[in-house]
Amino acid sequence: MSEAQLPAPLHAVFDEITGVIFKRQGARRLRVDIDADRLPTLLALLKGRAGYLHLSAISCVDWPQDSEFELVYHLGSYETQVMVAAHIRIPRAASRYLSVYDIHIPAGFFERDIHEMYGIEFEGSPNMTPFILTEWQGPPPMRKDFDTLGYVNQHYSWQQYDPQWLRELEARGGGLVE
Amino acid sequence: MSSMTSYPIYRDPDTAIGCRTVDEQERSLLRRVLDRIADHCRARSLFVLHYCTGCGAIELPPSMTSRFDLERVGMQPMVTPRQADILLITGYLSVKTLKRVILTYEQMQGPKYVMGFGSCTINGGMYWNSYATVKRLQEYIPVDMYIAGCMPRPEAIQQGFLQLIERIDSGRATAWQDYYRRYDWYLGNQQAMFGEQFQTPTDVIAEARHYALASAETTGRHTALLEQQLQQAALMPVGPGRAAGESQ
Repeated sequence: MSEAQLPAPLHAVFDEITGVIFKRQGARRLRVDIDADRLPTLLALLKGRAGYLHLSAISCVDWPQDSEFELVYHLGSYETQVMVAAHIRIPRAASRYLSVYDIHIPAGFFERDIHEMYGIEFEGSPNMTPFILTEWQGPPPMRKDFDTLGYVNQHYSWQQYDPQWLRELEARGGGLVE
Repeated sequence: MSSMTSYPIYRDPDTAIGCRTVDEQERSLLRRVLDRIADHCRARSLFVLHYCTGCGAIELPPSMTSRFDLERVGMQPMVTPRQADILLITGYLSVKTLKRVILTYEQMQGPKYVMGFGSCTINGGMYWNSYATVKRLQEYIPVDMYIAGCMPRPEAIQQGFLQLIERIDSGRATAWQDYYRRYDWYLGNQQAMFGEQFQTPTDVIAEARHYALASAETTGRHTALLEQQLQQAALMPVGPGRAAGESQ
């Protein structure tokens, strides 16, 4: 897909900012890859020039093999009617990033959620206290290196289910398959 | 007229009715007969409270409505825990919802029955390796019956209800008494899940004494923690100072 097919307001935004790789993913979907330090500028420009007033979600992906977190900012505009997903990568070791609360107020909730689930600290976010998890003392559970089954084995006990018919089945070489 | 005031005060209304002393043996027999009659009636009029945490709620409308029609066996949905007899846990329980289930359960009046729907309440079901899903419901509240399946079909639900009715009728659905008899164990499991600060507004120990179900295992190591917290709370100043202390 060429740049020429983009709506005019998005053109204006991408002329202003450098280092943006964008990819049309459908008639109303645009993927944008950008350096982490340019993202707040992009969001502000999108909001100001192309009517991207709506931040519908921030999602996070853990890439342990790259030692990176990927943050995806999903934006919507009634003006261009094209969804923009802005992807950035931040180093996993530091796991710090800037809050975009000053541009989009709902970001506060998404950042609080990501902080709880992935342990990423957002500088400037109004509230980083525990949000959804109840009485949680473990590590951030959505990180890929979190051992879910290990945690379950440590904190819960399993129901014993050992009926005669299952024992007979297992004696014949059948039964549950791992 | 003055002799009117000197009548002895009867502490136990059961023995006072007959104006004679009824010995323990006879009284327990009478009580057992009355209980059997009450059980028989109770089994035919059950109010069901649905705690619809998961997909099990979808299977209930077909069970309730015209095709299978649970009202035939005397069951009806009820809106509040205080008027309900059966608590249905229809699906997986996360740690967060389990807390609400315990609060709901303790609000219900005895005798009360708990049914676990589907494999999620039995062993976590398809969330077996999830950090946030409770695995065995019977560790936190006593469960009368589980219905296996993911989800159980309305026929299975019907079958389960009929079995529960039969158990209530024959006086075998007594799991709720276990909560009072072994409250310390249940509370221990709840505290392991929610931290040692966990407590509910219901005074379960007093209820256990009221139902004459208190045993040696009703109180113990875990209920002692409750009492400690109670004493600490009693010493705390009432007003804004206390609210600040609680929020920390």
